[in-house]
Amino acid sequence: MRAPFRLQFEQRTETPRRLGVLVPLISVLAALFAGALFLLATGHSVGDTYSNMLSDGFFSSTGITDTLGLSTVLICTGIAAAFAFQMNLYNIGGEGQLYVGMIGATWFGLFFGENLPSFIMIPLVLIGGALCGAAWIAIPAWVRARLGTSEIVTTLLLTYVAASLVNHFIYRSGSYFRAPNSMFPQGRQVPDSAMLSPIGDTKMYPTFFVIVLLSLALHWVVRRTEFGYRIQVISDSPRAACYAGISARRTTVQVMLISGGLAGLGGATLIVGSFQRLDPGIVTLGYGYAGIVIAALARNNMAAVVVSGILFAGLRSGGDKLQISTDTPIHIGVMLQGAILLFALGGEAFRRYKIRIVRTPAVGSEVTA
Amino acid sequence: MTSSTHEGAQGPHHASGAALVALEAIGIVKRFPGVLANDDVNFDIRVGEVHTLLGENGAGKSTLASMLCGLYQPDAGRILRNGVPIQLSSPRAGLQHGIAMVHQHFRLVDRFSVAENVVLGSRDLSFKLNRAELNDAVAAVADTYGLPVDPTATVGDLSVGQRQRVEIVKALYQGAEILLLDEPTAVLVPAEVEKLFENVHAMTKTGKSVVFISHKLGEVARISDRVTVLRNGRVTGHVSSKGQADAKELARLMVGRDIDLAAQRASHPIGHEVLQIRDVSLVASGVNVLSNISFNVHEGEMVGIAGVAGNGQRELADVIAGLLSPTSGTISIGGAMSTDRGPIASRELGLAYVPEDRLGVGLVPSMSILDNLLLTRDRSVVVDRANVRPEANRLIDEFEIKANGPEHLARKLSGGNAQKVLLARELSGGRTATKLLVVCSPTRGLDVGAIETVRRLLDDARSAGQAILLISEDLDEIMSLADRVLVIYRGAIVHETPGATALLEQVGAAMAGLSQAGGA
Repeated sequence: MRAPFRLQFEQRTETPRRLGVLVPLISVLAALFAGALFLLATGHSVGDTYSNMLSDGFFSSTGITDTLGLSTVLICTGIAAAFAFQMNLYNIGGEGQLYVGMIGATWFGLFFGENLPSFIMIPLVLIGGALCGAAWIAIPAWVRARLGTSEIVTTLLLTYVAASLVNHFIYRSGSYFRAPNSMFPQGRQVPDSAMLSPIGDTKMYPTFFVIVLLSLALHWVVRRTEFGYRIQVISDSPRAACYAGISARRTTVQVMLISGGLAGLGGATLIVGSFQRLDPGIVTLGYGYAGIVIAALARNNMAAVVVSGILFAGLRSGGDKLQISTDTPIHIGVMLQGAILLFALGGEAFRRYKIRIVRTPAVGSEVTA
Repeated sequence: MTSSTHEGAQGPHHASGAALVALEAIGIVKRFPGVLANDDVNFDIRVGEVHTLLGENGAGKSTLASMLCGLYQPDAGRILRNGVPIQLSSPRAGLQHGIAMVHQHFRLVDRFSVAENVVLGSRDLSFKLNRAELNDAVAAVADTYGLPVDPTATVGDLSVGQRQRVEIVKALYQGAEILLLDEPTAVLVPAEVEKLFENVHAMTKTGKSVVFISHKLGEVARISDRVTVLRNGRVTGHVSSKGQADAKELARLMVGRDIDLAAQRASHPIGHEVLQIRDVSLVASGVNVLSNISFNVHEGEMVGIAGVAGNGQRELADVIAGLLSPTSGTISIGGAMSTDRGPIASRELGLAYVPEDRLGVGLVPSMSILDNLLLTRDRSVVVDRANVRPEANRLIDEFEIKANGPEHLARKLSGGNAQKVLLARELSGGRTATKLLVVCSPTRGLDVGAIETVRRLLDDARSAGQAILLISEDLDEIMSLADRVLVIYRGAIVHETPGATALLEQVGAAMAGLSQAGGA
């Protein structure tokens, strides 16, 4: 027997503008729906869980400021991934660059902090973190540009090295980064001049605004500058770039260094913000990996990363608080993030194809001779 | 004897009794989103004839053929096989009625042998293939129609012409009585076209019918028993030609106006040397791609490089454009050395280059016309699009580019309009005024109207004093445009002759490597 209907995929010649907003929105709703099914299956109240999560994540004054505070690092790793994606480069190792950015920022803070004033120290620590993040991706960038080695593999593998490096600097006795007189292995706090104070009574730091401005600036760079133009030519047709005398190698290295630098900057915002020290706990938080999801949800639009970064931060911080206020497992938030990514990527099909339901012809008219 | 009728004045062939109508389509209508691809089309094919569907790109030829073979279903209209109405719900249903299509892009598995490809999709194969038996069966079908193929050869190793033969053998093996050949000559070199035509004749002699889909007038006039011309999805004329159709008349039916593709030569005296090539050789992976090439191109002169594809033309163009460095020898543009200085330096000396691949090399498909104009120009750190927009609008008007404006994406342009954008950019000069224009296969894949325009643009550029190097596999084009014809064979210039007095036979022989000058 044949089904009386079938789905017909028709390629769109033009994607309507509204779909650019509608598809991610519906993807999020669909993910929440899928999450609801899980909550029901595990015997939790859907209404309570979601209303707690939304209010803790977005709709209470502490909730939203906590979210914006957390979003700072997520937007950073989001634009790091999105910027590399502009040229079809897959920097999967934002996580590792973030660790190295933290190490670098901490070092700059510890080394210069005693002698320099805060208005020099904060930029110095941030830039130092970015430089170290860029340095961590330099080898993948170089071998990608020279030898064509897959940056997916190299950046990912270096993340494990970076995680070991963090642990090494904390657990090795006598390490420069380790707090000298503590029983437990923990990082040494950076001097006051290398720390920002939160805004008012919140967990938000001024770096949030810096990072948002940076995202918008990078959006402009991609759209309006000669550098962005080059990126677009190379990503679309490398042979056209060669024809026009645009060096794909040089631009590959530049884009990857910037991407790594942004992830490193994300690590540095943690040091000047809530962390204040190299903390081995970072390796369990996955902020760098989340950036990939955030970039994908924003469809690699540098400005839209701000929105998807805040959305993610809200789900995450709301999800974390669930465990405290109710007995809902923390992983519901993580699961929702995964579901959102899955639905957002699946939703791409709606942007590229028009899907119609077609009645299949009656069986009698089929040619069988 | 040529007769033509217009707009549906088609007689009922099956009633004439002259020949049996194998397949007939009546009142076919097919809509795609935003396009009426076929509008009340009538078409029929008799047993043992070659009936050509002629039309420009987008006229609806392939759409009609796809409905005749069952790939698409018509929105309205009927299809009759031997006078009996049939429903073709899939290509397999088409095959069951003896109708098969050979697509422009082959559908073969490179790693399989010829015989394996031919039997692929047959439903009556045993679980364990008896290869020897299959090979014999395939060879038998091939021999019947004079299609020499080795059933044991791996398809990946075959030439394009041979692969096409495999597709045809496959259709015949599956029992096709009616073969639809979609632009079969588009991928073939002249000698392969001859071979294909022989095969087509061998097939029609044994009562097979062939629907030949093409927009190449010369070929159509030669091969067809009858021609149906389509324009914008409608039938604009039927011509019964018996191999003698008049190309001019066909062109008029196809385009809707008279077309002038007459020879054009330099009308002004030729000036100073612009391009000088001295002893240029290129060795790539141990192979001599170019050997000791020397020639000049002067102001107001068009030099044509003829040759069969793959004899070093692409590399020669890339070397001149600064994309490749020659192993030895020198190139100068406007008296200044450009060897080894890269594409941007070459352009600063007045070079413009229209590469063979329009989309993907010459143009960036996902970018707008405006952004594509910027590709070979000097760009400021912040790209100033507002400043270029008036020029983009002017060029769109001047070159009659059919687009919604400067923001129109390159990949949404037709082939002809994409080529016009490319020519507009290159002819209008970027970093400096264009002195030397290198063009590769400028009219390949374009329809007749666009070919006429492109040729006129090249001739205008020549009259304006630009030096032009025309590299093309289309011998007719070179013979009718170039002031001097050079023939390239295995990376060497083996023949040189003035364009006005060039003899087709001599140039053709040189292209095949038979000239005395370049025997070695």
